[in-house]
Amino acid sequence: MSLPVEVMVGAVRGGTSILYAALGETVSERAGVINLGTEGCMLVGALTGYAVTASTGNPWVGVIAGAGAGALLALVHAVLVLSRGANQLATGLVVLFLGLGLTSLFGAAYVGRSINAFTPIAIPGLSSIPGLGDIFFNHDPLTYLSYLAGPAVWWFLYRSRPGLIMRAAGERQEVLAAYGHSPLRTRYLAVIGGGALAGIGGAQLSTAYANAWFENMTQGRGFIAVALVIFAAWHPLRAVGGAYLFGAALALSPALQARGYGFNQFALDAIPYLVTIGVLVVLGRKRAHAAPEGLKKVFEMTGA
Amino acid sequence: MGKRWRRSAGLLAVMGLAVAGCSSNSTPTTTATGGDSAKAPGTGGKAVGFIFVGPKDDYGYNQAAFEGSQDVAKAFPSLKVLTAENVPEDDNATRVMEGMIANGAKIIFATSYGHLDPAKKVAAAHPDVVVIQQGNIATGTIPPNFGTYFGTVYEPVYLAGIAAGKATKTNKLGYVYAFPISQSIDNINAFELGAKSVNPAAKTYVVNTSNWCDPGKQAEAANSLLSQGVDVITQHQDCTATVIKTAEAKGAFTVGYHADASTLAPKGWLTGSQWRWGPLYTEIVQTTIDGKFTGSKFNANYRVGLKTGSNPFVQSPYGPSVSAETKADIDKARAAISAKDGSPFKGPVMSQDGKVLFADGMVPDYAAIEDLKVFVDGVVGKLPS
Amino acid sequence: MSRLAAIDRAKLARGAGRLALAYAGALVLFGAFVMTKGANPVDVYREMWRSTVMNTTSIGQVLVKASPLILAGLAVAVPAKAGLVNVGGEGQVIMGAVAAGGVALALDGTLPGGVMVVVMMLAAAAAGGLWAGLAAVLRLTVRVNEAITTLLLNYVAIDLLLYLIYQPWKDKHGSGQPATRQLAVAARLPLLGTSKVHAGFLIAVVATAVIFGLLRWTSWGFRLRVVGGNAEAARRAGLPVSALLLSAMVVGGALAGLGGMVHFAGAEFKLRPGMTLNFGYIAFLAAWLARHEPVKVAGAAVLLALIAIGGDSLQLDSGLPAAAVNVLMGLVLVAVMGRGQFRAKAPKVMAVPAAQAPAVVS
Repeated sequence: MSLPVEVMVGAVRGGTSILYAALGETVSERAGVINLGTEGCMLVGALTGYAVTASTGNPWVGVIAGAGAGALLALVHAVLVLSRGANQLATGLVVLFLGLGLTSLFGAAYVGRSINAFTPIAIPGLSSIPGLGDIFFNHDPLTYLSYLAGPAVWWFLYRSRPGLIMRAAGERQEVLAAYGHSPLRTRYLAVIGGGALAGIGGAQLSTAYANAWFENMTQGRGFIAVALVIFAAWHPLRAVGGAYLFGAALALSPALQARGYGFNQFALDAIPYLVTIGVLVVLGRKRAHAAPEGLKKVFEMTGA
Repeated sequence: MGKRWRRSAGLLAVMGLAVAGCSSNSTPTTTATGGDSAKAPGTGGKAVGFIFVGPKDDYGYNQAAFEGSQDVAKAFPSLKVLTAENVPEDDNATRVMEGMIANGAKIIFATSYGHLDPAKKVAAAHPDVVVIQQGNIATGTIPPNFGTYFGTVYEPVYLAGIAAGKATKTNKLGYVYAFPISQSIDNINAFELGAKSVNPAAKTYVVNTSNWCDPGKQAEAANSLLSQGVDVITQHQDCTATVIKTAEAKGAFTVGYHADASTLAPKGWLTGSQWRWGPLYTEIVQTTIDGKFTGSKFNANYRVGLKTGSNPFVQSPYGPSVSAETKADIDKARAAISAKDGSPFKGPVMSQDGKVLFADGMVPDYAAIEDLKVFVDGVVGKLPS
Repeated sequence: MSRLAAIDRAKLARGAGRLALAYAGALVLFGAFVMTKGANPVDVYREMWRSTVMNTTSIGQVLVKASPLILAGLAVAVPAKAGLVNVGGEGQVIMGAVAAGGVALALDGTLPGGVMVVVMMLAAAAAGGLWAGLAAVLRLTVRVNEAITTLLLNYVAIDLLLYLIYQPWKDKHGSGQPATRQLAVAARLPLLGTSKVHAGFLIAVVATAVIFGLLRWTSWGFRLRVVGGNAEAARRAGLPVSALLLSAMVVGGALAGLGGMVHFAGAEFKLRPGMTLNFGYIAFLAAWLARHEPVKVAGAAVLLALIAIGGDSLQLDSGLPAAAVNVLMGLVLVAVMGRGQFRAKAPKVMAVPAAQAPAVVS
């Protein structure tokens, strides 16, 4: 496999878990709630997905359970933010620590266990296209599903009525209320849905990509997802592209090393964040405009 | 502690016991063990402490050390064994060790490479406590209550390298490591030397993950190696499952590290290296409570290998595909490196760039091997400088 | 006694009662949790109390742990007074440590220890201030939100630290682990008296007092609060809003940078991956728990440090896994944050005066 193809294969392989989490965070932030605890939601999704797969033998059941666990932890966030009026950024971090603690505690029994994991399935025909076949059509089912997830979230947010309501909840909740919709309920659903997607991302990591559970195995991928949403200016399809960009950055180092080159990974790691800041600076006003109104208010709210 | 407090506590305790079955009550052990020389460091304690850098059930390095600590608990029923997991290699380690001393520990095992500095700090602050560190090397004068110990990890890795060299069809072996610490460099070099001893064409491709346990990065590293045609993979990581399962899924062979993980790779498992700390830990504790630590072999940088005793790092069981011929080769090699003039690094050993590291016939000592800062000839990949 | 005072007192008592209830609730929940792990909650709490609170060594360790947290907490509180959200404590702490470490590598041994400490403090404060100031400048010039940039700059700082210690600054004579060489003994923060607490705690206490005084008694502090309350009105009143916002952020960053230096020169002595252990984020929580009141922030930081140190007891005395302390910390925070103090305003609390959003933009 040539280097560019291999890096792109790695980008899809390694970017998928981040992609799910970033899509989830996009939905949540579109409704006006940021969840810095996405990392925690991924972790509970990863452990629950792995544990349930171990006990049922069916990775699909595991992924659904992982989504449920991510949603449940996000619910804690939602309750604190939406019903108790606590600060979003702070409660997100609380959710992170809670997820970290719970998963290390209950995950110990699953370290070193074997499960019936997802395996790559080559799609007949498509997988033999040179280059593209390897990059897109020789992956696990959750990766294939992720190809649909981006457009689906886009369609939901921009073409469906519930999506419109959700965006309205993040922009002008008083309008929403005037039309008889409950902004509160909509936001709850968005946060919970976002947590579920992050849970799927975590489960993809544990049941497909790494095929293992280990405490704190997400290693910052949830935080990357949060940064990605900003990078993508709250647009789901750009978030997909961003996830693959991060995936490529992660894949470049081992691909070069396996060919005998030495490499300091960390200079490369910083680039996506610098690019994000650069994009924000260049497109400052425009991008800032893209932020959901409700979210801007969160960022600008001072202490009690 | 008043009676009233006890009684109200009892109410909750009943609930606790109902769930727990038995609570981990911390009644201190009654007798203080110790030798005649009450002043010798490490004597007169009622507990032994162990700190681990990772979780004690990591299926790897830390779990092995934890199991060793449980062997100590069995061997010395009068001593309480205190364990602390996830102890970072910084000032937190000092704090946890101080806590163990406050709980009556007079012997402390600091089991991670990076625990050396805090371990030294605690030893200096508590001359009556023996602090002993696993894996690193103490430089300068070693205080009377301090020491380091380790097995010669590269011996079983060398033997496993033979199995790898025999098994490969592409003559490409892969090694996933975390950081260029000397232990990893020794292992990579020994692995290549072992493979080359039976298969001169075998090369070892190396990838570092810059992280002791990031399963995502491990998967990527293994996949990169596999796509370069590598068909035997081994590793030096704290958590090992991902690399093994990735290799197994792609039909490659696996050489294990830290633990017997043959169940994770029923088809591709060749052999590996794993820890058995119990006997060494027990010997260290016995020596110390007898008041004989100071001046003993443990009051130094103690290294034990096949030549000098029983190595706590041993070869793992064979997988189904290893032939009788390979096993015979490995037995022969083990006998050779156990001999007085034997070593996996017996010269000639050349570096990657063609320099002579050990001249023909030279048998380097442990220190010389641990001092290597380059890869041997046959390793493909650069060390981060 | 006036009726107003009585109402205030009743309100205060209710608030305190709710807070106590929140803590109690968290402790009961954690107790239930501990039982599922086969330990007796009463024993667990008793042992934790005995070996953490009733033990001078542990108290010293709590103060050591709290020192950088206090400083990083103040780094959140000061900008918050001006209506700014600083999520970048983690990055600013790291930049402070990196600056102190860089100074140590460049000058160690050439200057007397005391001078080195001062130079490191200055460098760390400057680096932290610069890192936060960057976010403020972007906010003031191109309207990029500072919560977003400070968050992104955290990652950049982490990668910069890793880059430096992985190659250029790595101790060539070290073990091969990515870390710098140790700070010379003379350049370390001295211990206070016979205790095991280093002078960093003193720095944190002094900083708390100074910030408290600055915010309460100086016109700078007053103006910050005015800007934080209503920037548009502040501007109409002729206050230099941009300069005030910038100064709040820079002072905050400098405090966090100082926190990084204190951690480096007081406890770590070398730059290492993961050396900050999420200090910035934990401090962010401390600041929110304390509603950005400097003295309370210090108190909250000590409380969180106390819980963290209590985790040792969970392991050593009760045989619980290391992660149990994270659960305890999480439950306490959930309970305290969800105790309903803000409920009267919810969910409207998310809507700030509409005038504010455009007004702070220059």
